[in-house]
Amino acid sequence: MTRGPRPFEAAVTGLGLVTAAGVGVKATWHAVTGTARPGRVDRHPELADLPCDFMYTVKGLDAEAVLNATQLRLTDRFARLAVVAAREAVADAGLDPAVWDGSRVAVVIGCVHGGLPFYDEQHTTMLTRGARRVSPKLAPVTMVSAPAGSVCADLGARGPSLAVSTACASGTVAVGTAHQMLRANACDIAIAGGAESVLSRLMIASACRLKAVSTRRDDPLTACRPFDAGRDGFVVGEGAGVLVLERPEHARGRGAAVRALVRGYGASNDAYAAVAPHPDGAGVEQALRTALADADVAPDEVGHVNAHGTGTELNDLVEAGALNRTLGDRPAVTSTKAMTGHTLGAAGAIETAFTVLALEQQLVPPTANLTLPDPRLPPGLDIVRDAARPTAMTCAVKTSMGFGGHNAALVLTRA
Amino acid sequence: MSTAEVVSSLLAQRFGVAASELADETPLYRLRLDSLALEELRVMLEDTLDVDLDDIVLTSRDTVGRLMAAVEHEAAA
Repeated sequence: MTRGPRPFEAAVTGLGLVTAAGVGVKATWHAVTGTARPGRVDRHPELADLPCDFMYTVKGLDAEAVLNATQLRLTDRFARLAVVAAREAVADAGLDPAVWDGSRVAVVIGCVHGGLPFYDEQHTTMLTRGARRVSPKLAPVTMVSAPAGSVCADLGARGPSLAVSTACASGTVAVGTAHQMLRANACDIAIAGGAESVLSRLMIASACRLKAVSTRRDDPLTACRPFDAGRDGFVVGEGAGVLVLERPEHARGRGAAVRALVRGYGASNDAYAAVAPHPDGAGVEQALRTALADADVAPDEVGHVNAHGTGTELNDLVEAGALNRTLGDRPAVTSTKAMTGHTLGAAGAIETAFTVLALEQQLVPPTANLTLPDPRLPPGLDIVRDAARPTAMTCAVKTSMGFGGHNAALVLTRA
Repeated sequence: MSTAEVVSSLLAQRFGVAASELADETPLYRLRLDSLALEELRVMLEDTLDVDLDDIVLTSRDTVGRLMAAVEHEAAA
């Protein structure tokens, strides 16, 4: 394995989360570690005639109370979630946008589908009421860069900004990209994350036809079952996760509390299929080995993995095999998707925030809804189930895999 | 509801512009009504009033008075 230049450690100084498990980091982490029961899963009337009529939904967020009239007018729900999570992360970092040098603050937010609900609504308007009734704001509201742009405007972040769209690896790639931007001295502070909200009849209808989502309509709360023999697909969730990363000297210079360090990043593509991962798992393994090399961390130093773990047969078996081949039996592996749903472009960021919290608190959340592990999983794979497990660790990994063959991995270490 | 009242109501409900801000001489940009907002308002007014407002040419440098007069003129046509 070739080693790159000396590892670069980006300090994580702030976290923000808005998920179906809770609004805010404290509420979400409490649910994810404390209950081992799923987050909020709701049936939606507009999906009633579809094989899947349920999604993980954020409750308890009053966007109208926290965003101004212009923000509400020009954002769909996915961008609002990003703004709320970013505000929490920046406040957690002890940063004040009123006084920071905004030209040195970058924003990188991952997203897959953009404002599909508004797009869906406007398409219906065009078909039923004619082209003249279509809103002129379709582009700014639905574009995948809307969360990044909205966060910049809200916080006065005037440095480089971009949306990352690498399917369900987007959130992880966003954090990895921020790590690279800090290493390149393109900014002093990077606000990195992911946001998604796709309560769209069009989207769910297609996912049903793809046979990718669970159709366990009789029991939506246990429908998402990562690594379980009884799984039948993922369950879509909405949410946002945002991390504040800083150049270490910048964090030190202002006396910020460092919650964890992002030390290595790797990405790859299977170059294989539109939706399925390559069955040999070489792509995700490559991303993981690249991240380990970037971090100068040996596989046996990794104490915990927050896996992609969607609860689809293809993902679970390929990912589990790659993790076990690369890292052996030591790490405590979990998938938190049964708590949040699969939040697509937000997933990697939300789960990286969970990885930071796991390192900080030396506590690995359980894989909710896992009752009967798939017998085809590697026998030594240590999946945490039933309850959160106290775990002594200095190093943890986040992996993500997406449609289109996208893979990404991050290596984080304890502060 | 008069045409002016429809405009005021939409500005309040959809654009967060208070009635007290609607002085005739106030430029629209002062009310945060940029080019996109004016196009949104055009679609909303056409829908609400069932009129064609395509002939109205306004920029955010125009005033509230000019907006009201233009809409009333087209609505009455």
